[in-house]
Amino acid sequence: MSRAHQGDLHYRLTHTTTYTYPEEVTASYGRALLLPRRGAGQQVHASGLVVEPGADVVAEHKDWGGNRSTYFHVTQPHRRLRVTGHSVVSTGRRRADPARLPPVPWEQVAQQVRTLRPVAPGDPMGGPGAAVSIAESRLASPMVELSEEVREYALPSFEPGRPVAQVVAELATRIHTDFTYRPGATSVSTTLPEVLAGRAGVCQDFAHLLIGCVRSMGLAARYVSGYLETMPPPGREKLRGVDASHAWASVWLPGGGWLNTDPTNDQFIDARYVVLGWGRDYRDVSPLRGIVFTPGSGSTLEVGVDLWPIEQTDLADAVAEVETLVAPTTALV
Amino acid sequence: MTDLLASYRAGGPGHDEMLQSSGAARAAWDQLADLAGVGSWEQLAGRRADVQALLEDHGVRYGADPQDRPWLLDPLPVLLDEVEWAGLEAALRQRAHLLDAIVTDLYTQRRLLSSGALPAEIVLAHPGFLRAADGITIPGPHQLFLHGADLARNADGSWLVLADRTQAPTGLGFAMENRRVIAQVLAGLYRQARIRRLGPFYHAMRLALHDVAPPSAGDAPRVALLTSGPRSRTTFDQGYLATMLGYPMVEGEDLVVSDGRLWLRSLDEPEPVDVLIRRVEGAYCDPLDLRGDSKLGVPGLVHAARSGAVTVVNTFGSGVLENPALLTYLPRLCRELLGTDLLLGSAVTYWCGKRSMCSHVIANLDRLVLKTTESGGPEYNGWELSVGERADLAVRISAEPHRWVGQEPVDASTTPSVGAGALEARSTVLRTFAVARPSGYQVLSGALARVTPEHAQTVARVTLGAVAKDVWILSAEPQPISDPWLRDGAPDGPRRPTAKSISAGAAEDLFWFGRYAERTEATIRLVRAVTDRWDDDHLAPGSHGGQALAVLTAALEQVTTTGSLSELVTDAARPGTVAYAVDAMTRSATAVRDQLAPDTWIAMGSIERALNRERARRSQLGSSDGGLGPVLTRALEGSLALAGIGAESMVRDVGWTLMDIGRRIERAQQLVRTLLATVTTHRDPAVDSLVLESLLIAHESVITYRRRWQTHARLDTFCELLLLDERNPRSLAHQVSRIGAGFAALPTPAPRVLARDRLLADLVDLLAEFDPVAAVAPDGSGARPRLAEALESLRWRLEELGAEIAKAHFARPMPAEWLDAAGTWVPRADETDRPGAVGPDTKPPDGAGSAAYGSAP
Repeated sequence: MSRAHQGDLHYRLTHTTTYTYPEEVTASYGRALLLPRRGAGQQVHASGLVVEPGADVVAEHKDWGGNRSTYFHVTQPHRRLRVTGHSVVSTGRRRADPARLPPVPWEQVAQQVRTLRPVAPGDPMGGPGAAVSIAESRLASPMVELSEEVREYALPSFEPGRPVAQVVAELATRIHTDFTYRPGATSVSTTLPEVLAGRAGVCQDFAHLLIGCVRSMGLAARYVSGYLETMPPPGREKLRGVDASHAWASVWLPGGGWLNTDPTNDQFIDARYVVLGWGRDYRDVSPLRGIVFTPGSGSTLEVGVDLWPIEQTDLADAVAEVETLVAPTTALV
Repeated sequence: MTDLLASYRAGGPGHDEMLQSSGAARAAWDQLADLAGVGSWEQLAGRRADVQALLEDHGVRYGADPQDRPWLLDPLPVLLDEVEWAGLEAALRQRAHLLDAIVTDLYTQRRLLSSGALPAEIVLAHPGFLRAADGITIPGPHQLFLHGADLARNADGSWLVLADRTQAPTGLGFAMENRRVIAQVLAGLYRQARIRRLGPFYHAMRLALHDVAPPSAGDAPRVALLTSGPRSRTTFDQGYLATMLGYPMVEGEDLVVSDGRLWLRSLDEPEPVDVLIRRVEGAYCDPLDLRGDSKLGVPGLVHAARSGAVTVVNTFGSGVLENPALLTYLPRLCRELLGTDLLLGSAVTYWCGKRSMCSHVIANLDRLVLKTTESGGPEYNGWELSVGERADLAVRISAEPHRWVGQEPVDASTTPSVGAGALEARSTVLRTFAVARPSGYQVLSGALARVTPEHAQTVARVTLGAVAKDVWILSAEPQPISDPWLRDGAPDGPRRPTAKSISAGAAEDLFWFGRYAERTEATIRLVRAVTDRWDDDHLAPGSHGGQALAVLTAALEQVTTTGSLSELVTDAARPGTVAYAVDAMTRSATAVRDQLAPDTWIAMGSIERALNRERARRSQLGSSDGGLGPVLTRALEGSLALAGIGAESMVRDVGWTLMDIGRRIERAQQLVRTLLATVTTHRDPAVDSLVLESLLIAHESVITYRRRWQTHARLDTFCELLLLDERNPRSLAHQVSRIGAGFAALPTPAPRVLARDRLLADLVDLLAEFDPVAAVAPDGSGARPRLAEALESLRWRLEELGAEIAKAHFARPMPAEWLDAAGTWVPRADETDRPGAVGPDTKPPDGAGSAAYGSAP
């Protein structure tokens, strides 16, 4: 487990996706979840989307999960579409310390999640919206099927009476140890039993697996989409475009809110993580999807992410830069 | 009371709609029997035959294919007393209100979920709940636009709801058609009885659609019905409702979201759509924000609805209300949301997501109806299962309890229905409808009743495909006749027509309707000509006649398909046959019911009846190629009627023009292909003369030929009449000139017509250069190479021309999903693969390729 970062960090974030098509595209409809959520340990100073060629309509609304969802429509004929999310973010998350989290046994949490009523007085469930989110996060979802295999994998970590934070930390460690990180080992349509059988995958698979383990025992967990700042090797300068989208899991803990844990790196998250949004699984928060009209078939895709640390004194300049770059957006309430 | 009704016995201990428990008939039924002239079994059986004939003439089916089962309608309506109906009506209004309040909360405040009043699984784990619909509202006080309910009367005489229909309720078209047919068959009674009319409801529905239109739509909002496609089982219902309301029926491909609003891709300018009645399941309506694999939806539709540019009814996520688990909670929710008691009970339902109810269900599997919470899932009558099957079911339920409910079976009331030789007591279910108006819900004064096809039985659900009945609400007051044409105080509509053109999809269907109608006629004529030759000459194969028969038989096989003459007429499964063309024509017509004259269905029905009679005759007699004359003559009559309707009963608009072009292309192709298969070889002149005579008969030109040349047939003059004579409506030159006139009448989507027009110009040139005398000269080996070459170059150009017309006028771009852009996941290459091209000669199947379908049940 790497050393946690304490204190505030500031980032200039760009996430660029470029599609190249063999034949002209006459119309393209896109749905992006590329603008970071506000709150929950981060401050968003400026953010927006740049679509090239220009979009006729760019409209943002808060989706069912409270994430910032953007719709856009491109009618200018094109062979290359580039969608870039720009933002300036400050984060102040501190890494959770399992020893200092409420030592609630997992069975008790499961009961609370099922009934949506606090087991002990003084254990608030949060606001009305929070209750719905907890209820939803205990159910199976399209990419997190609660199969027998997943439950079997989960069981060893769920010793009777064990505090939830410990269970979650151990699950992250086990997944980190048992599975190989290998891009290309899985695709968006790989199921959890297939990941379990192949013992390899990427961050989305590990997040889904941890969520599946937790849900199959009756607890609530959700999928978080975002980024993690990558460090250059010692003595080398950080290169542009080397960062990537990242994903992890978040488990509900009475009295402690949502405990964010990253099974890919076997750690609880800290200020080096930036959150885009959360949902039941990848499908709810995929960064970019769309529909295209073109006589040709196929396309190639390139993704580049930069999560660039900046100083507090540079924030104003970064905000000004983003505000000049991004297109005006219609707000749909 | 007549003897027939007196002989009727109720089926069991339950309620019977006609008989009181004393055994005497209720007054209304007594009156029915006296007035309707159904006192004897013979009369009743006659009425039933009348009903079936009318349904066939109207082309009513449960499904789009002539092979699908017909719509079955019992001649005896269900009679309900106005006083009783008033109570039911109030209860239905309340129920619609309650469901409206629930769906409104679920997609806005979510109070029912956060308070725990409604268990999370019932909503959040139900496939009908669409997160993408969160926050989308429609103008006006109600979010639930149209509510349907399946009702049955319990043994104690009280009404119960078996299921609510909120996704895209089906049956308003069938209900009106049932009334139309029964009112005609029981005309005497219908005029005398004081029956509540159905018309006002449809009128109210039109007003309601205007009520919910976006404010930007102004006084004359444009409405369209989004169909789940011509292959849906309820395609008649959809088409009939659209026609009755006067709105176009469109497919997803015909619509496009642009400039933030919804447009209909018409052959001319795009036309805006303000309100969309959706008959496609919510999840399939937008591949961008809902199911990405759907071919039935419109990308961007959810956004357009969210921004308020278009109103979609029922709202996207309304299907969640169909979860039967909700029935358990309705009484409580009614008190909580409306502050009153629920007036109309539901079938007793146990939701297995609650532990106590789940154990009750598992312990009583042998007497409950078990079903999943999603619509269209499996359904079991527990008492019909073996011990082993019940054990398996218990395991499945325990694995995912929240997805299952158990329901107490309902001994639905019985109604006398026309059975096999007697009146039989059949269990009856009503589907009622309520539409949202600003002042509250308006309920249809009647319903679509369905009865079990067998003798009385316990029902939990009678499917839509069972035998239908009309429902008469008997009134004490005379009922005013309502007609959509009567003015109702509403302001005049705009003087300029609201709908100007037709969608590209409808244009394509009309084009293919024209082609298949012509193919039907051409195939009948060709088979008939060969049949006549067969009757004369099949016993003398060596004679001139016998040789001509061999030439014609081989040509028939080339032009149509392999098979006996009888199979070429009746085998619907084989492309090339008469029956195949008739089915394809019917399917195309079904998709554009709103564009065709109603008499079209009478003509098509008569062709189908002729084919069915022939099939029945064949199965009795065994196969023989003789005796095809009568069926061919009857079928030809129907074809001629269709041609006449096309010529005399349709306005010469864009749709008609395309239908006519379709007919011309088909006639030209059939002619050229037939000639290629017959006259390019030089034979004994006596044989050739007989072949040419048959061909002249098949192309309706023999009389002209004889009159003009007064001799036996010669090939050069034959070619002059059939290829070059523009005044002969069967000639190639005539078809080419009509196609040219058609093109001139179509809006021009330049520059896509360049290839189309070049091909046509080539055809004109080829005909101009054609010299019959030179062309027919044989070479040394007995072939006619110049004629063969000329015909071949006509043939392929005509085929190309058909394909180019499709490209220029009907092509609608196919949407494809983007690659997944998660960055670390490697997308599968096949995810953007598009369906392959389709051949020019048959209409491409809808949503060709790996389409996903979802139509509302």
